[in-house]
Amino acid sequence: MRVLTTAGLAAASVAAAGLTAMMLLAGCGGESKTKQYVVAFSQANNAEPYRAAQNAFMTQLFGAQPDVKLVISDAQQDNSKQVAQVETFIRQKPDLLIVAPNERAALTAVMGQAMEAKIPVICLERDILQPNYTSYVHSDNVAIGRLAGQFIVDHLTKKYGKPAGNVVAMRGLLGVEGEINRDRGAKEVFDKYPGIQIVADPVADWIQAKAKDRMTEVLRARPKIDVVYGHNDPMAIGAYLAAKELGREKEMVFVGVDGLGGAAGGIRKVMDGILAATFVYPLCVDKAVEIGNRILHEPGFRPEKGYVLEAVMVTPENAAQLYEKFTTKAMQ
Amino acid sequence: MPDSGMLRRARSLAALVGILILAIVTSPTASDGSRIFLQAGNLTDILRQISLIGILSLSMTYVILTGGIDLSVGSILALSTAVTAMFLTRGYTTHIGVAILTAVLASAAVGALNGVVIAATRIQPFIVTLASMIGVRGLAKWLTSNQNIDIGFGRDLAAEFASIFREKAIVIGAYACAAALFWVVLARTVFGRHVRAVGDNEKAAEYAGLPIRTTKIWVYTLSGLFSGLAGVLYAAENHQGNPNAGVAYELDAIAAVVIGGTRLSGGKGSISGTIVGTLIMGVLTNMLRLNNVDSNVEMMIKAVIIVLAVAVQRERN
Repeated sequence: MRVLTTAGLAAASVAAAGLTAMMLLAGCGGESKTKQYVVAFSQANNAEPYRAAQNAFMTQLFGAQPDVKLVISDAQQDNSKQVAQVETFIRQKPDLLIVAPNERAALTAVMGQAMEAKIPVICLERDILQPNYTSYVHSDNVAIGRLAGQFIVDHLTKKYGKPAGNVVAMRGLLGVEGEINRDRGAKEVFDKYPGIQIVADPVADWIQAKAKDRMTEVLRARPKIDVVYGHNDPMAIGAYLAAKELGREKEMVFVGVDGLGGAAGGIRKVMDGILAATFVYPLCVDKAVEIGNRILHEPGFRPEKGYVLEAVMVTPENAAQLYEKFTTKAMQ
Repeated sequence: MPDSGMLRRARSLAALVGILILAIVTSPTASDGSRIFLQAGNLTDILRQISLIGILSLSMTYVILTGGIDLSVGSILALSTAVTAMFLTRGYTTHIGVAILTAVLASAAVGALNGVVIAATRIQPFIVTLASMIGVRGLAKWLTSNQNIDIGFGRDLAAEFASIFREKAIVIGAYACAAALFWVVLARTVFGRHVRAVGDNEKAAEYAGLPIRTTKIWVYTLSGLFSGLAGVLYAAENHQGNPNAGVAYELDAIAAVVIGGTRLSGGKGSISGTIVGTLIMGVLTNMLRLNNVDSNVEMMIKAVIIVLAVAVQRERN
C-alpha cells in the first residue's frame, strides 16, 4: 500500500513538474540575434482598473518593439509581496526596472537596492520616501482637485447665478495620497465661496458598490443636493446609481476623477451623460515608456529626476475625441 | 512498522527536494553563466521572504494541533506594526526595546483573550478568532486613524530600529530561533504532549485529567505573541506601521501548516513538517517569479501544489 502511495507521489510530482516546465518553456521562446532588452515592471495591484489600464497600455507600447521583452509582476496590494518581487527582479538584472509602489515607505529601501545594483529605475505615479530612482513620472492630485473644484463652482454659478449650493464629496480610502489631495485641492477652491457647502462626505473606499450604499443614506438625509464629487469615477457612478434608484438623478450632477478609456471607464460615462465631467488622471505609462526607451537605446541619456503630467478635463464636448485617445487596444 | 508520522515527513521532504531540483533546473542564468536560483543572495532572499509567514505558521501549528484555528494572526500582526511605529515615532519612549516589548505584549494579550474566550465559553475557535480578526483590524485602524505611520530613513530612533531589524540575518535568525523553540517544546516537554493530546482526543485528555483549558489559553497566547513578533519585523522591513498589513496572512500560514502534513482536525502533525511546508511555498514562489510566470498562473499552480501535497500525505486506513 505504501509503495503505491509513494508511486502516486512520484507520479503526481512528475505531472506537476511537467506542467510547470511547460509553462516555463512557453515563456522562453527563440533567441534573436539583436540585443534583447528586458524591462521588469512591478505593479502594486492589478485589481484596480486604473492599474490594469497601466498594464495594458505598457504591454501595448513595449509590445510594438521587437527588441524589448516586458515582464509584469502583481503585488496584490501587499507591501511584503512587492518587496519580494522587486528583490527577485534585482537578481534577474533587467535592463530597466519600473516600479509602481504600493506604499511609499515600504518600497523605498528595496528600490535603493536596485539602484545600487546599477539597474535604471523609473518610479511610476506614487512617490517614495527617498529619491531611489533614476526618474519619477507622476501627476498632481492637488491640481486635479482644484480643477474639479473650479468646474463645480462654475456649474453652480451657471445654475443659480452665484456660486452657491450643496455638494456631496464621496471619499476614497482614507489616508491614501490620492484621496487626501483630491479632497484638499477641491476644498481649497470651495473655501473661497461661503455659499458652497459640503453637506456630506461619506467614505466609500474607491468602490462603486459602497458608494451606492453611502449615497443612498445621504439621499435619505438630504432633500437637496446639487453636485456629487466622487474622488474616482466608480464612486461617482455608484452615487449616480443610488440617485437614479430614488428618481433623483436629474436633480444633481456627478463629477468624477480618473477618466479611464474603454467601455467601463469614466470617459464613456461622460459621453453617456452619466457624469458631467471627469478628469483624466494620467496613466503616466506613455511618458515612462518614452523615457525608458531612451535609457535603453541612448547610452548618454540622462533623464530629468521628475516629470509631472497634466490632468485633462473631460466634458461632453471633448469626450468622444478623448475616448479615442485614451482607449488602448486591450480595452476594446 | 515505521512510524507513520516519520513517513509523512519523509514524503513532504521528498516534495521539497523535488521542487528544489525543479527550481535549480529551470533557473535562468546570470550573465556569468551561474544559476540565479543558487546565488547566495537569492537563497537568503527566499529565507527572509518566508520568515514572517514562517513564524506565524509555527504557532499556528500548535493551535491546529489542539484542534483549533486562529484567523486573527494577520490582524494582530497589523496591530503590532501600528503599536511599534507609534511608540517609535511619537516619542512615547526613548528605547527601542520598550516599543518592541509593548507591541509584542499587546499582541500576546489579544491572543490570551482569544484563548480565554475559547476555553471558557467553548464557542468554536473559528468563530472566536474570526470575531477578533475583525475587531483587532478595527482597533489597529482606529489607533492609527487609518493612516500608515511611516518610519523614515533619518537618524532618529525609528530609523535606527528599522535599519537593525530589517537586516536579513536578524529576520532569518528570528525565524530560526522561533522554529527551534517550537520544535523542542513540542517534542520534549510536557506542555508539548498536552498540545497533541488535547487535539487528538479531547474527551480522553479530559478524563486523564490533563489541563485542557490552560493548554488552549497558552497556545492562543503564543499565537498572539508570535504574530506580534512578526509584526515588529514587518514594521522594520516595510518602514511603517500599517493597519492594513497582513490581510490573508492567516490563510498563508494555514496553507504552510497543512502542506507540512499537520491534520486540520488536530492531534497529528509536526513543526518540522510546517517548516518544510513553508519552504515549499517559498521556493515555489521564487522559482515561478525567477521565470517570470504570470502571477495569475502562479496562483493556479500553488492551488494544485497545496492539494497534491496534502493528498500524498493522507493517511491510508
